[in-house]
Amino acid sequence: MDNHLTPQQQDLLIEDALKTFPLAPMPRSITPNVMARIQTNTRPAIVTLNDFALSLVIAVCIGAILFALQNLPAVAVMEFRKQSILLVQGFLVNARWLVPSMMFGLASLFVALTIPYLGRQLMK
Amino acid sequence: MPDNETTLIQKAQKGDHDAFAALVDEHQRYIYNLALRVVKDENEALDLTQETFVRAWTALPNFKGQSQLRTWLYRIVTNLCYNRLPALRRSLTDFGDDVMEDIPENNLTLGNPSHDFESNETRSYLHHAIEELDENYRLLINLRYQNELSYEEIASTLNLPLGTVKTGIFRAKAQLRNALATLEDSWTTT
Repeated sequence: MDNHLTPQQQDLLIEDALKTFPLAPMPRSITPNVMARIQTNTRPAIVTLNDFALSLVIAVCIGAILFALQNLPAVAVMEFRKQSILLVQGFLVNARWLVPSMMFGLASLFVALTIPYLGRQLMK
Repeated sequence: MPDNETTLIQKAQKGDHDAFAALVDEHQRYIYNLALRVVKDENEALDLTQETFVRAWTALPNFKGQSQLRTWLYRIVTNLCYNRLPALRRSLTDFGDDVMEDIPENNLTLGNPSHDFESNETRSYLHHAIEELDENYRLLINLRYQNELSYEEIASTLNLPLGTVKTGIFRAKAQLRNALATLEDSWTTT
């Protein structure tokens, strides 16, 4: 007797097996565990207390800088400007290579920072 | 989406714990089953199911109802499975989309009562073969046949191209066909 199934019969058997593959019974209900966890894990609010605290610190810092700048003596402001101009001129005259080097270094640093992320993506 | 479920979702979005518990009761078996078929470990599957619903609770206010809740939950549990099995995502995308055809899905009508016993035996054998498939195939097969998602819904859930989903299911069936051929060989040799 030829026991070989035709391709159509094979397909039908496979379809039948796939459609009748049983759902695994749950060993226990997880509803109580889930409900216990969501009672303690409250949904994050749109703006949290930490956001307010951080905003306050940043605002105070910006205010302090502005206040300090407004209240500097005129001589100090002039000295500050003079030193800034001298610094820029110093760079331009003595270290023309420094700015591109720093830019290149920063670019390299940013590229290096992406390596862990790219590694994770490749591992997926 | 059933009206009742829509109401439950709306209540849960407003913070109603009882409504959310009802949703958990309704869907947990399917989520657990999907997780179990992928990770093949009962305790891990329970953990994943629990984590899925905790995340769903947190994200529920953002659920706009554009997809069905169950599809949304499948997406969450699948992402959790990706985290547990980092190679799973890559193995799915590696399918490519070169095979677009599929086995026609007909009802079983072998038409010969003498085949009944043999069919039951074959069915059990194939069920075992399904369990032995790789995790990526088990995930696709489970979403297609046990959770009854369309190819498009699976593609959307797994964030894969439609062709990749079809290719994956086609190859899973090809593996089952090979398993069936092995069984047939055992018939002829005995």
